[in-house]
Order: sequence, then C-alpha cells, then structure tokens
Amino acid sequence: MIGNDIVDLALAEKESNWKRKGFMNKIFTQNEQLLISIAENPTIMVWNLWSRKEAAYKIHNRKTQIRGYFPLQLECFDLDCINEITFGKVVIKDFVYYTKTEIKSEFIHTIAVENTQHFDSISILDNRKNIRKKNGIPEYFENNILSKKPVSISHHGRFEQIITL
Amino acid sequence: MDKKETIEKLKNIVKPYIKNQEAFENITEKTDFIADLQINSANLVDVILDIEEEFDIIIDNQSMERMLDIKSAMEIIEIKLSEK
Ligand SMILES: CC(C)(COP(=O)(O)OP(=O)(O)OC[C@H]1O[C@@H](n2cnc3c(N)ncnc32)[C@H](O)[C@@H]1OP(=O)(O)O)[C@@H](O)C(=O)NCCC(=O)NCCS
Repeated sequence: MIGNDIVDLALAEKESNWKRKGFMNKIFTQNEQLLISIAENPTIMVWNLWSRKEAAYKIHNRKTQIRGYFPLQLECFDLDCINEITFGKVVIKDFVYYTKTEIKSEFIHTIAVENTQHFDSISILDNRKNIRKKNGIPEYFENNILSKKPVSISHHGRFEQIITL
Repeated sequence: MDKKETIEKLKNIVKPYIKNQEAFENITEKTDFIADLQINSANLVDVILDIEEEFDIIIDNQSMERMLDIKSAMEIIEIKLSEK
C-alpha cells in the first residue's frame, strides 16, 4: 500500500492559520512543535509534517480500516534531508510508514510507503484511467487484467498528484 | 440546549470551511464533514476549535478522533456540556 499528500502552499496560507490558539496542540506532538519552532521557515515545517501525517494516514486507514481524526497519534520521526528531498518516518502504535517529501516553492508533496525499497518503484500517473475505487477510496491501479498495483491520489488547490507502485 | 439549536450553531461553524454547498443545504445528522461537506482535513481542526469556543467546552483528543460527522459532533458537545 502507498499514500500521498500534496499541499498547495498558497491555498494553505489562505485557508489555514496554524498560529491560531490551540491549533498546534491538536495536531502536533511536543517533539514536532519543537521542530517547527526551531525551523528556518516554520510555516513550511508545519505543512511538511502535516503532509507526512496525511500520506501515512492514507496507508494506515486502508490497512486497518480505522477511520478517525488522530493527527497526534501519527508522529513524525527521523527527518533527514538529502539533496532537497526530506526522508523520515511516521509512527502510529506498532506501525511504521516511511516518507519522502519534496518541498518546492509552490507546494509540498509527501509519498508514504511501507518499505523504503518501494520509493524507487513509485511512478506518477497523469490521469485516473484504470483506477478502481471502493466507497470513494482508491483501491488499486489496473495496469492490465493481470496486474493490480497500489495507488494513491491527492489534490489541493492548483495541484494534483496520482502515484502508483 | 436542544438538538435543533445545536445543529444550527454547528451549521454556522462549518459554513466557512465547506466545499459542497448542496450537502450543506441538506445537512442532517448523518452528514460527514469530509466525505459530504468536503471540508479539507486541515480545516477540521478549525471546526473543532470553533466548537470549543462557541460552546465553551474542551474537546479531548479521544473525542476529537471521532469528530467526523454531525452526529458524533453533537454527541460530544452534549457530553461535554453535561460535564460542565
Ligand atoms: C483521507 C483524507 C485524509 C484525505 O483528505 P485530504 O488530505 O483533505 O485530501 P487529498 O486530496 O489529499 O486526498 C483526497 C483523495 O484521497 C483519496 N482518498 C479518500 N479517502 C481515502 C482514504 N481513506 N485512504 C486513502 N485515500 C483516500 C481519494 O482519491 C481522494 O480524492 P478523490 O475523491 O478526488 O478521488 C480524508 O479524506 C479523510 O478521510 N479523513 C479522515 C480523517 C483525517 O483527516 N485523518 C487524517 C489525519 S489524522
């Protein structure tokens, strides 16, 4: 299973005020809040961490069938920046999801996988053809009748990203 | 506070965040914040904070986990108000 999440930074700026009282404590753990407070650009760090949580949630929800709003349980760890791509993991209970986040001036995009080797096999789809959904949730991408691949869709503002494995 | 009053207050709270006007106009207890009203998941925290302010209650993390539709929001508001 894979998950992804894209944040249009201009839209996020317009629609969310992360500095609002109470916001941080409902979404970010103490450690994450520390990362935000020491970041060169706190706003970018907010959406960076948020997109990781959302991408991981998209795997976790499909795997466990648990639906809920529990951003504090999805905790980001081990942020590591290599050539402008940040890696890391999101941990929830006994589950670990690995994340790869691309930070651009206009958007932030995170891909989450269950096994780091999968990062190399991710490809981008440019339309929704052959994506099978169940109750509105993407189930798989049908490459041909014999091969079903995991898929994930995210859109926000000006951007949409569809990925498969 | 009766149910009708609560749902009216809730409607006012979610209004700025909804993306689906039709679902908003036909709001019922079954209406889902994300699937029906298409509130984006980052704005769900704003809905929760607005509820806390409007009803002067504190929504703990466990309650927040299931705050995904009008019905559970109403239940949580009722419980928190009764605990005051
Ligand atoms: C899954 C979810 C978080 C995505 O919401 P979002 O970030 O606002 O929107 P995105 O554009 O990134 O993702 C939406 C797309 O993801 C896919 N999707 C929807 N629900 C999904 C799920 N449960 N798992 C994986 N993918 C899902 C759909 O393809 C959808 O786009 P489409 O309807 O146009 O095809 C949201 O729909 C949801 O169900 N939230 C429940 C509570 C929550 O927010 N938890 C997360 C933090 S704890």
